Amino acid sequence: MIRFALSRLAQVLFTIWAITVLVFALSHATGSPLDTLLPDDATPEQIAALTSRLGLDQPYHIQYLRFLGSALQGDFGDSLRWRGEPALGLVLDRLPATLSLGGLAVLISLAVALPLGVVAATRKDSWIDLLARAIALLGQAIPAFWLGIVLIWVFAVWLQWLPTSGQGGLRHMILPAIAIAWFQIAALVRLTRSAMLDVLDTEYVKLARIKGLAESRVVWKHAFVNAASVPLTYFGILAGSVLTGSIVVETVFSWPGTGWLAIEAIRGRDFPVIQAVVLFFAVIFLAANYLVDLLYAWLDPRVRHG
Amino acid sequence: MASIAPPLAPRKARRAARRRRPPIIPLALLLVVLIVPALAADLIAPHDPYQSHLRNRLQPPAFWGGSWEFPLGTDRLGRCMLSRILHGAWYALSISMVGIAIGAALGSAMGLIAGYARGLTDVVLMRLADISFALPAVLLVLALGVAWGPSLQAVLIVVAFVLWAQFARQVRGEVLSLRERDFVARARVAGAGHLRILLRHILPNVFNTIVVMATLQIGVIIILEATLSFLGIGIPRPAPTWGLLIADGRQFITSAWWISFFPGLAILLVVLSINLLGDWLRDRLDPRLRQI
Amino acid sequence: MTERTGRLRKAAALVLGATLALGITAPAALAERLVIVMDPPSAETNRFWETSGDLALGPAMQTLVGNDPRTGEFDNSGLAESWEHNEDFTRWTFRLHPEARFHQDWGPVTTADVVHSYDLHTGEDSILTGINLLRGAELEVQDEHTITFVLPEPRPNFLFAHGGRGIMVIYSKAQYEAEGIEGYDRRPAGTGHFEFASRSIGEGVVFSAVSDHWSGTDATVSELAIRYVSEPSTKLAMLRAREAQIVALPRELQPEAVDAGFAIVSSTNPAMQTAFMFNNLYPPDVDGHNPDLPWLDVRIREAINRSIDREVLMEVLYDGRADTLVRFMMDPLNEGYAPELAERFEAAYGYDPDRARALLAEAGYPDAFADPVIPIVSTTLGGNPEFPVMAELLQVFMDEVGLQTELREMDWGTLGGMARARTAYVLRPMRNAPIRPTEVGLRVFFSSHGRPINFYEHETVEALLAEMATTIDAQARDELGRAAFTHLFEDYSDIPIAAVAYEIAVDPDRVAGWDFPGATAIGLSHWHLIDLVE
Repeated sequence: MIRFALSRLAQVLFTIWAITVLVFALSHATGSPLDTLLPDDATPEQIAALTSRLGLDQPYHIQYLRFLGSALQGDFGDSLRWRGEPALGLVLDRLPATLSLGGLAVLISLAVALPLGVVAATRKDSWIDLLARAIALLGQAIPAFWLGIVLIWVFAVWLQWLPTSGQGGLRHMILPAIAIAWFQIAALVRLTRSAMLDVLDTEYVKLARIKGLAESRVVWKHAFVNAASVPLTYFGILAGSVLTGSIVVETVFSWPGTGWLAIEAIRGRDFPVIQAVVLFFAVIFLAANYLVDLLYAWLDPRVRHG
Repeated sequence: MASIAPPLAPRKARRAARRRRPPIIPLALLLVVLIVPALAADLIAPHDPYQSHLRNRLQPPAFWGGSWEFPLGTDRLGRCMLSRILHGAWYALSISMVGIAIGAALGSAMGLIAGYARGLTDVVLMRLADISFALPAVLLVLALGVAWGPSLQAVLIVVAFVLWAQFARQVRGEVLSLRERDFVARARVAGAGHLRILLRHILPNVFNTIVVMATLQIGVIIILEATLSFLGIGIPRPAPTWGLLIADGRQFITSAWWISFFPGLAILLVVLSINLLGDWLRDRLDPRLRQI
Repeated sequence: MTERTGRLRKAAALVLGATLALGITAPAALAERLVIVMDPPSAETNRFWETSGDLALGPAMQTLVGNDPRTGEFDNSGLAESWEHNEDFTRWTFRLHPEARFHQDWGPVTTADVVHSYDLHTGEDSILTGINLLRGAELEVQDEHTITFVLPEPRPNFLFAHGGRGIMVIYSKAQYEAEGIEGYDRRPAGTGHFEFASRSIGEGVVFSAVSDHWSGTDATVSELAIRYVSEPSTKLAMLRAREAQIVALPRELQPEAVDAGFAIVSSTNPAMQTAFMFNNLYPPDVDGHNPDLPWLDVRIREAINRSIDREVLMEVLYDGRADTLVRFMMDPLNEGYAPELAERFEAAYGYDPDRARALLAEAGYPDAFADPVIPIVSTTLGGNPEFPVMAELLQVFMDEVGLQTELREMDWGTLGGMARARTAYVLRPMRNAPIRPTEVGLRVFFSSHGRPINFYEHETVEALLAEMATTIDAQARDELGRAAFTHLFEDYSDIPIAAVAYEIAVDPDRVAGWDFPGATAIGLSHWHLIDLVE
């Protein structure tokens, strides 16, 4: 087990290193911070001063080693766009906004999608099944930014139930969370429904029915528990996509979380912040996967030796 | 075929029969909304999609008080929305086809190799897949868009990047179990080389998975393109991609709703019919695949 | 670190608490609190000298020179009560308002603060626009309230650095000595009618009104919340939902706001000029000259200008509320204004597709050109939501007369990088905001002094500007500027588009009016003059 854990750890570290190279290359591929920082009429002296202050006159490998060295100590440097703010600090400051929004979105999608998927499967071809399938389709066919704008108009402008945008409590989170959850609901309904259909077809469930157990007990206690692994596996992917999923929605609802931060940093060629955001999420994603792998291996010895 | 079924057949059987029948309506929809316009927009579009009629800006659709000259109305530069949507079909079709083809081919090849070779190759390829899962695709395309300016190539690269790891994981999983099966062992005993085993014996068995996955990704890709257009890094103007049409019309959602509504409807119909087709294909090819 | 964990904990508590609070409506806003929605600035920081010049702290921070709210002319509503210059504009002496005080009890404004601020704004790390107007001065402190800037050469437009463009904001030296730069990052003390209350990155800045302001007038609004929102439809929704009372709305959406009962308030003067530039109009021996650019031929430049129906352009881009621009950088209020060019405009630049086609035929377009395709840049820039539409329209007009065009999307930064490398072989949108003094604008964009990013170089203009630099007589300067503008006009050096006011949509139930001249970099100013409905 320890051997397995160590070898996987080595793989994770290697992956992270590969990502640092990629992120460094990518951020530098976006051009020069000079382009966005300097005014249109910058003087040659200003250009030269900023170039050397940012260390952009150094060869790439030196810049990379510097970045790697300080990143190892948790220091990504100061932001170029938000002067006076450390890059990692900006990411951590924006994190609660994204996590709370993403968390609410995941909650909403679980609360809607699991029951809907289960009921749709048990009453296949009923109106509720049709509804579930319609939702699954709509979720895949409507872009999140468009949905967000429609939600703002309907619920904030016409009905005036909720605020249009900005931060400030749960009321502000509902619309953006729905806009993020929309796509997740579609995927989860689809998965839950088909997994349930499979399980309901098994001997095991048929046996439970024959034994005369109440239908609701059969569905929820026996079938659902067995089918749940499929949507739950997907749930891991969902949680990983919190950042990606929120990028567009954060812009529409002017909800400055990490997704917004990432976009603005790329647009502003803010290398330290780009590197901090992407690496931060990559490390979290890989760490979570590593733990899941360990958990599987611990539960199932075959994995360790496979 | 359906008429042959006895009238009193149990519901289940009837349903099964229906499932085997090729889905006419989705196919027809797909032809009307996507394929015919993509191939023949020049012939059927009433106007040049790039031609501005500046005196006719923001005209409503014919049934909403507009004229039949512009059946679905015009945008802010007075361009015919119907013509733009028809011409946009080509982009929807080509990005999803080419992007998915690249992503699926690359991912499947990686998955086949990783699952078959196992060991170090497997580890390296799967860590590569981890990298692409760990790097948010939207950020990648944003960086590419900023670096090169928006371009068709950047969009295709991102589509392929988003897809390949998913294909690689799925295919690898199947190959891992297939390679232990009898027919592979028999082929090996018969002296078949690795390449032959992979291509002749394993690939045909995972092919269905690949096809079904690819079908189901088309909608995802069209939406991804729309999102990129919203961020200003989609396929460059003035190409009338559906994503760009929706993104450009979003400001006018209350005043000139038709600008973003009809391209949205086109996407919806395409995704709807492709999903129905995909479901049918999956049931035909491999019912085990319900979970993707 | 403790602050951060505290904040995390607070966020967690907020989520929990908010769950309970759902359904309880937000407390009614203060009657005098206003929410103003604007485009996000290019940099969110309290260190003005580390921005390219958007003064996002306008309500709190002041410059030495102010502007008249109606005419936009320089006046003593800033920190200087009066000023004078010597005959050749090399010595400028400012006398500070003796009663001017910093917020948060940081004391009176003295010449020590001016010296401190000058050092901050002209230091190595300053990336401010137009810095050449400010740099290189020696500061002579006469007394507590009198200071002289001794300049290395005549700078007749020196006031533009202090009012208008306003690239020197007065910070408190006392605060800096007590708290260091972190004090500025946290809560900079200014001298305006409002004081800085808080900044939330990505969301905006909140200012609260100062009571008994040193100027003797107080703001009617007690709290100004400036919100940064980039998505135009969200902006409109905020106005419609009455969450914001003043919104910088793209012109395209203004009719919708007006239909819904909102009012449009314009700056009292044009705040900006827009144009499309023919890049790299250089003589053959100059770095960046590219003989393949079709627009090096003046007939092509005239044909492009002739192909554009400016009336339609004004209608589509600016909802009809803009003046056709006669000459980029030329303004009736500035030196060198040539009224005769406005009279000649229709004859020389008027919409005439037939003349355009004839010019193209005469020039042998496209066969005689190595690369006849003309790339048009489509780009977005905060404050100019019309740029992408402008590019598409230009393409429509140019296609109409037979010019071959290609739309090229790129962001403003990429464009800037290409311009600095002198390889931006494109037609590109440009703005002049706030409208620069004639000499400053011409030097930067139309002469070799503006290298690397200048658009145009020509010996005639070089000679005129060289003479202007040493000329101090007002009338002679005026003639020189006029001659330069006439040369550029006749040479079709660019595609002038519009002179536009800065416009905002307001909730007429709350805001009765607002006089601001449109003279500053961000367009808005004079925040204390926002007039509330009683």
